[in-house]
Amino acid sequence: MGKPMILLGSITYAMKSRDLLFQYGIKAYVERTPRTGERLGCGYGIYVPHDADQAQEILARAGIRILGRSERVGAV
Amino acid sequence: MIYLDNAATTFPKPPQVISAMANAQRNLGANPGRSGHSLSIAAAEEMYRCRTAAAKFFNAPGPECVAFTLNCTLALNMVIKSVLNPGDHAVVSCLEHNAVMRPMQAMTGSGVTYTQAQVVPGDNDATVANFRSVLRPETKLIVCTQASNVWGIRVPVERIAALGREYGIPIAVDCAQSAGVVPIDVQDAGFDYLCVAGHKGLYGPMGTGLLISKSGRMPRSIVEGGTGTSSDSLIQPDAMPEQLESGTPNLPGVAGLRAGIEFVSKKGVPAIFSHEMKLVQRLYDGLSRREDVRLYTERPEALHFVPVLSFNVEGLSSEEVGQRLNRMGVAVRPGLHCAPAAHSFMGTLKQGAVRVCPSAFSNINEIDRFILDMMKIRAK
Repeated sequence: MGKPMILLGSITYAMKSRDLLFQYGIKAYVERTPRTGERLGCGYGIYVPHDADQAQEILARAGIRILGRSERVGAV
Repeated sequence: MIYLDNAATTFPKPPQVISAMANAQRNLGANPGRSGHSLSIAAAEEMYRCRTAAAKFFNAPGPECVAFTLNCTLALNMVIKSVLNPGDHAVVSCLEHNAVMRPMQAMTGSGVTYTQAQVVPGDNDATVANFRSVLRPETKLIVCTQASNVWGIRVPVERIAALGREYGIPIAVDCAQSAGVVPIDVQDAGFDYLCVAGHKGLYGPMGTGLLISKSGRMPRSIVEGGTGTSSDSLIQPDAMPEQLESGTPNLPGVAGLRAGIEFVSKKGVPAIFSHEMKLVQRLYDGLSRREDVRLYTERPEALHFVPVLSFNVEGLSSEEVGQRLNRMGVAVRPGLHCAPAAHSFMGTLKQGAVRVCPSAFSNINEIDRFILDMMKIRAK
């Protein structure tokens, strides 16, 4: 099963997103963005074990710029 | 020593500020947000805690609106040099610090012009009318101190911000002397940019400051470099706060600033203001009984002043008075206070003045001792 990551512009936005989702009862964890062929260099996102789609909607409604989604294979 | 130079930097700092700095140095020694390992993220959490505390303290829309700077001067430079373009006009008050005047003067070399609006102490209507009278179609920014760092005179920046909104002109407020002393609500007051000293009324360490953008945006950064984001691009990221924070940040300083903000929040800004104002009024009353002491303003009262008082002694230069007080164990600031505009306004450009500013840690005994020392100033 994948590990749903929501990719964000900076660690500040990742932490803000985590705190916002917590207010909605959704747990999220700040992590460094996995490096892929498309995304080079530094970046941060949040790992959302459950309700990732709802989480993304909440963040979008709050005006937080979402860079994309990632699924990390092999996560627990 | 009796330390009454708190307008330059507050001293002593609260113990929790020193503890927070030591903890950051001891336990959070990684580069915040750069490396992705646990210690780096823990360090970034400390930065974020301070952003959140500052956003709450000034009622900014969110932590992303808060950028860390070296000091208030850098924050002011960032706004002035990123908002203004060749051909633009700016308005400043007649009481500005060189942190505003020097960057404004430098910008004239790039085709920017500026006008100083006259502040009328005690008459906010007249002050606002003076600001209105110097606005032009090409005015793109108002930069204004909330309180004179020399005379303690408060400028009605909330009303000037409203004036700016009427004409679509943003305002940058220099609150070096007012943050932590008077309540500031960025959203309610409509301040587009708030430039803050961390080491004064917020009781943080030296080398800390804040630039708060109400919109969470800045036209551009005046410094480019590594931000820990979008490293594959050679273009500076355009998202605050990282946009304005190139290079490794001052994590121990930021941790101390967070503790300072919490200290002020716990004590309460109105309580600190009331305490310091009473001390300044007591000092004013004591000095006003002296025929050879010149005071330049009305007795400071809450509506129109912050707790900063400057004076001169007849026949002695301000520097001489400062040195004599130092020999008696009293720390004050003589001279021009990096604010020749404010001294020109009051006619003290040649002799300067002796500035006194208490802090939350100052007390009545110290003020009374200062007044007594002033009785002996000629003999020293």
